Amino acid sequence: MTITLLLEQMFNGLQSGVTLFLIAAGLTLILGIMDFVFLAHGAQVMIGAYAAASLTALTGNFFLGILLAIPITFASGFLLEFLLIRHLYRRDHMDQVLATFGLILFFNELIRIGFGPAALFSDLPKALSGFVNILPEAPYPMFRLVVILVGLACAIGIHVLVSHTRVGAMVRAGANNEAMTAALGINIRLLRRFVFAVGACFAGVAGMMIGPLTAVEPGMGEPLLILSLVVIIIGGIGSVRGAFVAAVLVGMVDTMGRVLLPVILRSFMGQAAADGAGPALASMMVYILMSLILVFRPTGLFSPKG
Amino acid sequence: MGALKILLDGANRNRTLFVLLAGFALFPIYTGIADLPFWNDLAMRIMILGMAAMGLNLVLGYGGMVSFGHAAFVGVGAYCVGISQYYGLYNGWIHIIMALGACGALGLAIGYLSLRTSGIYFIMITLAFAQMLFFLFVSLEQFGGDDGMSIDRAEFIIIDLWEPLRLYYLIWAALTLSSILLMFIVRSRFGVVLQAIKGNESRVEAMGLAPLPFKITGYVISAMICGLAGALFASWQEYVSPDIMHWTRSGELMIIIILGGLGTLSGPLLGAVVFLLLEEILPELMHVVAPNYAENWMIIFGPILIAVVLFARGGLMGLVQRVTGGRT
Repeated sequence: MTITLLLEQMFNGLQSGVTLFLIAAGLTLILGIMDFVFLAHGAQVMIGAYAAASLTALTGNFFLGILLAIPITFASGFLLEFLLIRHLYRRDHMDQVLATFGLILFFNELIRIGFGPAALFSDLPKALSGFVNILPEAPYPMFRLVVILVGLACAIGIHVLVSHTRVGAMVRAGANNEAMTAALGINIRLLRRFVFAVGACFAGVAGMMIGPLTAVEPGMGEPLLILSLVVIIIGGIGSVRGAFVAAVLVGMVDTMGRVLLPVILRSFMGQAAADGAGPALASMMVYILMSLILVFRPTGLFSPKG
Repeated sequence: MGALKILLDGANRNRTLFVLLAGFALFPIYTGIADLPFWNDLAMRIMILGMAAMGLNLVLGYGGMVSFGHAAFVGVGAYCVGISQYYGLYNGWIHIIMALGACGALGLAIGYLSLRTSGIYFIMITLAFAQMLFFLFVSLEQFGGDDGMSIDRAEFIIIDLWEPLRLYYLIWAALTLSSILLMFIVRSRFGVVLQAIKGNESRVEAMGLAPLPFKITGYVISAMICGLAGALFASWQEYVSPDIMHWTRSGELMIIIILGGLGTLSGPLLGAVVFLLLEEILPELMHVVAPNYAENWMIIFGPILIAVVLFARGGLMGLVQRVTGGRT
């Protein structure tokens, strides 16, 4: 294990962390402000990935494809809130689980009908497909670096939006006490629709960025949904700052675990057994991390209601 | 009240449940005459999933504890059969005792650790434990790892499971016994306290009762019922893999309960019947209406679930109550 490899893996961890943050940021606000259990957030990731992949194929330009796909993800969140979600706010959490589970099935099947069950693969434009040296003689894929930068830029954007704007103050007030916020004359309905649409938009951007790195396929959002739920629990429900810290933590632990655990296991068991057990035990790490954090801080690291 | 009186009264209050149980008891006669052995297979799957859902419903519906990891108990129950057979132990009764014991102990440990949290944090920590168990079994190469292990039908002294209908009636008996057990539990002092905790935990505390032991006991019982369902599932499928404890399976159990009706005795079984029947019937239906899209039946299934939420408050049992004027 060389320093170069370790550094490369840390970058990979950061890349998966910022991607998770983009998904978790919207979800933590939806859960925190609206107290709404939204399981179909993973579908928004899928919608973003498919919109970008198909528009890239249509226009022949990757950047144009992304640019056109962003309004689509915003619109899908806006419409979904308007058509269905707003009727479910006052309902039991379990009703929300069932309804949004139905949405997952619906969206996955819709994509399967529209684009076929096979995964889509999109080629990266030349400008993004090379390698750059992050250290002398440590080449790193250009696109992953771009993902990290875009993710960090979005994180700063979300931070400014939430912490330093009027809308952000309303959002934070809503997360803390919704009834009080509404009593102060804030249009909480419109605020909810806005948060939903923006959340869907960022989830969509996450989908666009992981699309070229992994397969774009129906059902791609659900594993990400579970991981981003872990992220918002660790961060504290409703806290964007917590979501960022937790996302990077989860991304790092997951990536480093996958690399380091097989190496550690190999030192005291056979190569084959270590290679078999390593990845599975690495997948456990994230959940062990979450349980440990919940033992010491039962409402997450940065709970806004605490 | 005598036990028999409670039983009769319970049967009267939960007619849907007992109608379904009677239906399952008589169903093989129909499939025998009509020569449809496949449907027996489906009925067994419905009964097993219904039993697991009933077990989960004790904590989810009656206790208000949303456990998102109960498929782990089903999986551990199933692996109890697989692992015993790996070591040459084929007695089915011992499998069942082991499944009950293992899931009881595991339920105690997970319940004790998880029940310090509540709300969404509880949902996620139960998921976390289930995921740990899932990945643990994926990593156990000795027991098949990711691919799982095949299982022979267990040998039950007295009952030879190679006769197909014997397994059917063994499952039926387990389901009926669990139903009756749950009916007694829900009506007992313990069950009443459990439901009171769901309603308002601080009031229960103010009355001088510590909620935690009640919640943990409920959690353990529900884990054991799921373990029993898992052991039977392994015998039915003759195969067990980590897939049985994947988080989507836990989700499926929750969906079945919510669809049927939370906190009702009949709901989980009715939910399992409707859920699995739709899974079978919708593709057939699509085949007739839109043959090109027969595989895409979920495009209908998803909106059906949403429609149940929007228009049938209280799930299918809520619908049943409205149709029959309050009877369940």
